[in-house]
Amino acid sequence: MPLSSKEKIASCKTTLEANTRKRRASDNNHLHTKRARDDLGTGEHRQSEAKNMGEATPKRANFSALNPSNNGFNSRSSPLVNNKPGTSKKLVIKNFKVKPVLPANYQQQTWDRLKEAVQAIHKSRPIKYSLEELYQAVENMCSHKMSASLYDQLKEVCEQHVASQTGQFTSEMTDSLTYLKQLNTCWQDHCRQMIMIRSIFLFLDRTYVLQNSLVSSLWDMGLDLFRSHIISNRTVQNRTVEGLLMLIESERTGDVVDHSLLKSLLRMLSDLQIYEEAFEKRFLEATQMLYGAEGQRLVHEREVPEYLTHVDKRLEEESQRILHYLDHTTRKPLIACVEKQLLEDHIGTILQKGLDRLLEANRVDDLTLLYRLLQRTKNGLHDLCQYFSAFIKKTGTTIVIDSEKDKTMVQELLDFKEKLDNILQTCFAKNEKFSVSLKDSFENFINKRLNKPAELVAKYVDNKLRAGNKEATEEELERLLDKIMVLFRFIHGKDVFEAFYKKDLAKRLLVGKSASVDAEKSMLSKLKQECGGAFTSKLEGMFKDMELSKDIMFAFKQHMQHQCHATVMDLSVNILTMGYWPTYKPLEIHLPSEMVNLQEQFKRFYLDKHSGRKLQWQPSLGHCLVKGQFREEGSSVKELQVSLYQTLVLLLFNEGDNYSLEEIAQATNIEDSELRRTLQSLACGKARVIVKLPKGREIEDGDKFLFANEFKHKLFRIKINQVQMKETVEEQVTTQERVFQDRQYQIDAAIVRIMKMRKSLSHNLLVSELYNQLRFPVKPSDLKKRIESLIDRDYMERDKDNPNQYHYVA
Amino acid sequence: MKVKVKSWTAVATWRWIANDDNCGICRTAFDGCCPDCKMPGDDCPLVWGQCSHVFHMHCILKWLNSQQVHQLCPMCRQEWKFKE
Repeated sequence: MPLSSKEKIASCKTTLEANTRKRRASDNNHLHTKRARDDLGTGEHRQSEAKNMGEATPKRANFSALNPSNNGFNSRSSPLVNNKPGTSKKLVIKNFKVKPVLPANYQQQTWDRLKEAVQAIHKSRPIKYSLEELYQAVENMCSHKMSASLYDQLKEVCEQHVASQTGQFTSEMTDSLTYLKQLNTCWQDHCRQMIMIRSIFLFLDRTYVLQNSLVSSLWDMGLDLFRSHIISNRTVQNRTVEGLLMLIESERTGDVVDHSLLKSLLRMLSDLQIYEEAFEKRFLEATQMLYGAEGQRLVHEREVPEYLTHVDKRLEEESQRILHYLDHTTRKPLIACVEKQLLEDHIGTILQKGLDRLLEANRVDDLTLLYRLLQRTKNGLHDLCQYFSAFIKKTGTTIVIDSEKDKTMVQELLDFKEKLDNILQTCFAKNEKFSVSLKDSFENFINKRLNKPAELVAKYVDNKLRAGNKEATEEELERLLDKIMVLFRFIHGKDVFEAFYKKDLAKRLLVGKSASVDAEKSMLSKLKQECGGAFTSKLEGMFKDMELSKDIMFAFKQHMQHQCHATVMDLSVNILTMGYWPTYKPLEIHLPSEMVNLQEQFKRFYLDKHSGRKLQWQPSLGHCLVKGQFREEGSSVKELQVSLYQTLVLLLFNEGDNYSLEEIAQATNIEDSELRRTLQSLACGKARVIVKLPKGREIEDGDKFLFANEFKHKLFRIKINQVQMKETVEEQVTTQERVFQDRQYQIDAAIVRIMKMRKSLSHNLLVSELYNQLRFPVKPSDLKKRIESLIDRDYMERDKDNPNQYHYVA
Repeated sequence: MKVKVKSWTAVATWRWIANDDNCGICRTAFDGCCPDCKMPGDDCPLVWGQCSHVFHMHCILKWLNSQQVHQLCPMCRQEWKFKE
């Protein structure tokens, strides 16, 4: 202890110095205050003093007269100087010659008293002495430098007591709950007693212990004793921990247990600093065992959503456990352990077993839970994402591949996408990774079947944009178009879409079937945004043609009025620019002379205005409004909205009542299959304005046709649709062929572009660059063919030595 | 008369008379427009010279503007005169 005593001395010195300094300071203060008081003293008094000083000698007597009052002071301050002993009493303060001595047995007595008190506390008996008295005793002992021995003695007493407690815990006892309770009581008592003891010995705790770094505080000493005598005992520790684990396990299996007991004992363990080594390790092991087994069992036994709820419940329970009695440092390892045993080890099984069904059944809540749980694990979300995208691909592929479901494919895809979007948003927290994989998966499966999805999407749009589609309001339609655009974005062969869309758009524009110009324009702008101006320039051109045609017709009508021609019928012509529109086969048919005249008039008018052009009529696209009088009396007049072909057939009946198929064909010069369809629509459709003999659905050679004089219909204006006979297959094939041809040009252009830039390139590099540039799916064999063709046409050549190397030929 | 046509909406397509050919200057088909334009039609018309050669109007004007002395048809080197 040399160091500490030195320290003590040092500290004493410093305190002494401090004290003296203080004292000086206070003396100074006294002086100051005296002086201040003097200053404040009356001027008179000072003046008289000055006078006294000035005329010291003449007024001697006066001075001496004043003397006796000062006498007391003088005598006290300098008794030695005073040479008149006996005149007054003198008080002298002297140091003790002998230091006051404590009674010899003081230490023993005091300690005995204290010891008695401590023992009384230990026995929970009332203490004889007042606490203040005891405190005073401790303080006195400390100030008489008995702290060290006091501390040691106190420790000894406590140790004796604690050691005496050990016995009850080592003896055999069957019921572990009682055992725990007993231990808990013992611990609680110990704590209470230690607090009490410490309060009494507070002075010791605050001086001696604080100044001695090697001595632990009274409280810690208590803990130390408890630890070394009771808990460090193997049997005690084992039984305690086992008992605790048993309690926790029984709670886990659903029993109600005493939380406060658990909490108190666990607090004890952590206070004794053996929580981690003695309890936590074994606790985590037990947890792992329990949940490991449970996970194995339940994941196979239960349905996935049930299992997930169970896991969620377990996690909740465990965090409650931490809240209620476990040490908070256990949180991380415990939760991690539960997650690992119940979730992480079974991610594969859970996802494989349940995800598809959950997604199919759109179980939003369960999916949310699944996401939330898997979020806790390390690879959970990654795996979930993979299974998610696998599910999308699988389900999507079944929608896309089945050619029998073509009719509903787009609607199904839209629904599917909407469902997944909803799941992504509500269940998967709009996770970026998931949304990317959703997109990728859609792109993947939608392109598994070449071209068809693009075509069907185009048809679907046509269906929605066509007039007569009254199921949707403008906003709904707009939203629908947006959704379709999302699908469209996934499709690789956008040119196929364009081709079909263009064809359908042409039909809508020419037949005036478009539901709303606004919707058309909005779709166009969406496409433009998505694919750029080049993609839509032709479509825009079509709209422009329609507007130009309107202007021209306005001018034409004015021109006709000017010329005062008697107009037999109202003619309006849509003039199309060749490149924009789908190509139509030019057909020559026989028109009635008045129609030919009118047509010629318009042609002349148009060519006058636009020189250098020629006009080609497209009868297959024309349509008319026809007035039909069905009874001789003129009572039944109907307006028929029909195609030009239908009109021509109907007009024939102005001249006769009865025609055979061959006669009609000769008179109109309509192409055979087209004519048959026309007749079918007139004679076999809903509104039969022509009667066919013999009756039947199909038009056969040699059939006869009569005008239906008995025709009745509740409407005034009737629309007779052209029968859409298998025409679509043919149309479809031609449209596709045209797309493929366009693609060839694009491939050629891309090859030349690349070669022009690179000058010479190996086959593989060229092909890979082509795949980067081309926006539609191509087979490598097709690319080879195009390269061959370009070599034939001298755009490029093979290297003489290396046939896999190409050179650009300028 | 039992049937009478009230109105008729016909459809016709127009092409340039010189349709099958390419413009001798820009080498684009006459179906399309000159390289400076986006839409074929009135905005990018064709013009005929008296030598019967046809070009996009924009193309031949550009050519004629670049000629300093004589304005010749780029195809046949005859003096260029617009056909009326």
